[in-house]
Amino acid sequence: MHVFTIFGLSRIKLGAVAGAMLLLAACGSPATSSGGTSDKSGVTGSASEAPVKGGSLTFAADTEPVSFDIHVSSQDITGAILRNVFDSLIAEDASGTFHPWLAESWEVAPDLKSYTFRLRRGVTFHDGTPFDAEAVKVNFDRIADPATKSQLASNLLGPYTGTTVVDPHTVKVEFSAPFAPFLQAASTAYLGFYSPKTIAANAATLGSGGPVGVGTGPFVFTAYTKGQEAVLTRNDAYAWAPKTGGHTGPAYLDKLTVRFLPEASVRVGSLNSRQIDVAAAIPPANAKTVEANTNLSLLKTDYPGGNYSIYLNTSKPPLNDEKVRKALQRGIDIDTNVKALYFGQFKRAWSPLAPTTPGYNAALENSWPYDPVLAGKLLDEAGWTGRDADGYRTKDGKRLIIDWPLLPAQYVRDQRDILGQAFQADLKKIGVEVLRPQADIGTYLERVYGGKADLADYSWSRFEPDVLWLLFNGASKPQKGGQNATFLNDPDLTAWTDQGRATLDETVRKDVYGKTQQRAVDLALVIPVYTQSQVLGLGKQVRGLTLDANAWPLFYDVWLGKTAQ
Amino acid sequence: MKTPAKAVTGKAVPTPAEVAPSETSAAGATLPGTTPAEAVIAPGKGEKAGKASKGRRSRAVRAFARRLAAGIAVLYGAATLAFIALQLIPGDPVATLLGPATTASEEVRERIRAEFGFDRPVLLQYVGYLGRVVTGDLGSSYQLQRPVWQLIGDQLGATVQLAVAATVLAVLIALVSAVTTAGRRRGVRAVATAWELVAVSLPSYWLGILLLTAFSFQLQIFPVVGAQDLAALVLPALTLALPIAGVLAQVLREGLEAALAQPFAITARARGLSQTAVRLRHALRHAAVQLATLTGWLVGTLLGGAVLVETVFGRSGIGALTLQAVGNKDMPVVMGVVLLSAFVFVLISTAVDLLYAVIDPRLRAG
Repeated sequence: MHVFTIFGLSRIKLGAVAGAMLLLAACGSPATSSGGTSDKSGVTGSASEAPVKGGSLTFAADTEPVSFDIHVSSQDITGAILRNVFDSLIAEDASGTFHPWLAESWEVAPDLKSYTFRLRRGVTFHDGTPFDAEAVKVNFDRIADPATKSQLASNLLGPYTGTTVVDPHTVKVEFSAPFAPFLQAASTAYLGFYSPKTIAANAATLGSGGPVGVGTGPFVFTAYTKGQEAVLTRNDAYAWAPKTGGHTGPAYLDKLTVRFLPEASVRVGSLNSRQIDVAAAIPPANAKTVEANTNLSLLKTDYPGGNYSIYLNTSKPPLNDEKVRKALQRGIDIDTNVKALYFGQFKRAWSPLAPTTPGYNAALENSWPYDPVLAGKLLDEAGWTGRDADGYRTKDGKRLIIDWPLLPAQYVRDQRDILGQAFQADLKKIGVEVLRPQADIGTYLERVYGGKADLADYSWSRFEPDVLWLLFNGASKPQKGGQNATFLNDPDLTAWTDQGRATLDETVRKDVYGKTQQRAVDLALVIPVYTQSQVLGLGKQVRGLTLDANAWPLFYDVWLGKTAQ
Repeated sequence: MKTPAKAVTGKAVPTPAEVAPSETSAAGATLPGTTPAEAVIAPGKGEKAGKASKGRRSRAVRAFARRLAAGIAVLYGAATLAFIALQLIPGDPVATLLGPATTASEEVRERIRAEFGFDRPVLLQYVGYLGRVVTGDLGSSYQLQRPVWQLIGDQLGATVQLAVAATVLAVLIALVSAVTTAGRRRGVRAVATAWELVAVSLPSYWLGILLLTAFSFQLQIFPVVGAQDLAALVLPALTLALPIAGVLAQVLREGLEAALAQPFAITARARGLSQTAVRLRHALRHAAVQLATLTGWLVGTLLGGAVLVETVFGRSGIGALTLQAVGNKDMPVVMGVVLLSAFVFVLISTAVDLLYAVIDPRLRAG
């Protein structure tokens, strides 16, 4: 009851203002809330207003970093928050082009085994320490040191052998093998730079966040209250924004508070009642309500990298038989289920790679539609012709059972457990029994990453097709920190993904990554399901909010305009 | 108009508690959550003050020693059970620590294994752990790389604040609900009992969202996001308090009604005390004894409820810390929280035993 009164009032009060705003929104940011494809340039608000300095903004995040050590953590949320605190050597724009940032220029050795960066002068850390070649070396060496126990950054450094300080403003980063993805890696927050002083003094406690996290970024990490919030304040000395930013000089906001609200309904309620300015991870079910509120808007971008897909374990029966794998791939009605569960907010996937990732193979689209008849025929051909009392297929008296462990509840995102139930029902129709045992994370990892389960499901976002190496290269063994849950060392897939990371030639990369996606689907190693979307809800007062290539919100250009109410 | 309560001050009259029949004293011996030893030794009301004070002192020392030993046993048991429970969780602890989304190399995994001693035999790990605990070292969190003491210390304040506020609210609500409705007409009682039952059976998670929607999102009285001040404490405390208030009110009303039916209450009424005065001064004291027996349950509910409430409201605190630690198998933190909870239980049950003597003079020894 009450809600209608509030909205009724606001509509009357707004009148002409709302009309003008809608018009501006319509021409200023066409694709931001229309469920468009790759809308990384979607800027909120209008360009005609002059940005205003000052104010504080509250951003509600759905997850809280376990560790705030940017060199240790592998979590998206850690990178998203700390992107505001740490700068990178280079910046990557939405089209995949690299721009200078803390490095003015760079040279790549022809063998791709070393990269030389000339560093920008006059950059200082929040504690006043100058940023120089030595700082780069200290940081990269720290990441590579096993004592740091890095969970992601060390992987981004690839076959790193060391950094040489050529002169105070030139560094040479070297690798033992050709390593093409390094430029992209160097543009991520995970390869950001701590002040050497804080590394020397606080190396062990950087994970606890707060003022020990000294970087060079537009915001200073002022305070962290576990379970509650992280507070960042403006770095007034900031004068080294990359070209990818919307302006130069310090950020507009005085203060940026990241509030941790794991409950989706609390995030949506707080946004509706204007207690927060931006909310992350608006559930698809709530998206329409947010869009309907004239004071709010949605900002949506698809995550790049590995789609949410199901990976088939080829190392043991029954999925060592390509026909059975194909039957599963064609026997699941992905279109209908994804549309129904996510209210049309998430797109179904056709390739293991998300469409926003460079090297995406669009030829796969619509190439393997739902076909239960074909699936049944394939199973017949594979010898699963018998039927038992419950209607499941059998072969030599044994039922066709697929073991697909379910993650413990706290790791389940986007109601994937419900989606799994729908797939279970689809496969039952063609006579396949799917079991979904749910246990603790230890048991889960042992079964899935130990190769004992038949199916595994996950997504892996990263703005780089090299993610295919992680997913399909024979050396990317799950038992050893890899993510190739197909447990297959296919010579072609391995060769192509190796080739892709050893060249910067765009045509070669496009070719090998395109072939990799095609072959992975052809061999039915993977059933791509949907492309994850970052769906942010924001108040109309929030201007200049953009999402970067990784679909993370960037707060450097954000300012607070006149509020509608 | 009720009779003025002047007569109460008449000192010549024995206080109702003294003339009360011994029926309720049995409650002291059957309390859950307290060490039975104290409850049993307490009713020494027949003894006269003639006993030598020396004997009393030695008895007090013995009682104290017994309590201390029991406390240590409880703490040891809690530490051991928690250790065993964590060992029983299947799976590689290193893999669990890293979680599903990681590309940590085998080298990093080995490093973690060695650093936290997962490669050592379980018995050695256990002995090593106990040894460290005895010396006051709870270790460091695997995930946060900070001493467990520090982590708990940082979070304790927020949870204590929440728990105290919830307790105060719960007691106040229960008092009002029970005192105003005990022994009243059927309809009045039915309404009170109904709300109490609803409050008890509401999942606090749902209740929290409900209160938030009404008072924070719609009416916008109590913010959930802003400064974590007193206003921000109201809704979480109320969420935690309501189910507790429901139980307390029921127990309290039953106790009040039992006490009001006893001869001393009738005597007091006959001496001209108002109904309210009898309830507040005399019957309530009897009912409060039963309330105190619920303290153990109360502490458990507060700690358990805090996990949910802190998550829903995005508050910092022990609950949120525990939830994350259990999920990440951050053993030192889990063990630290278990020990802390056991310690609080020991402390509270001891305090309650002492409190009995205050509430119920019959239990005062010698």
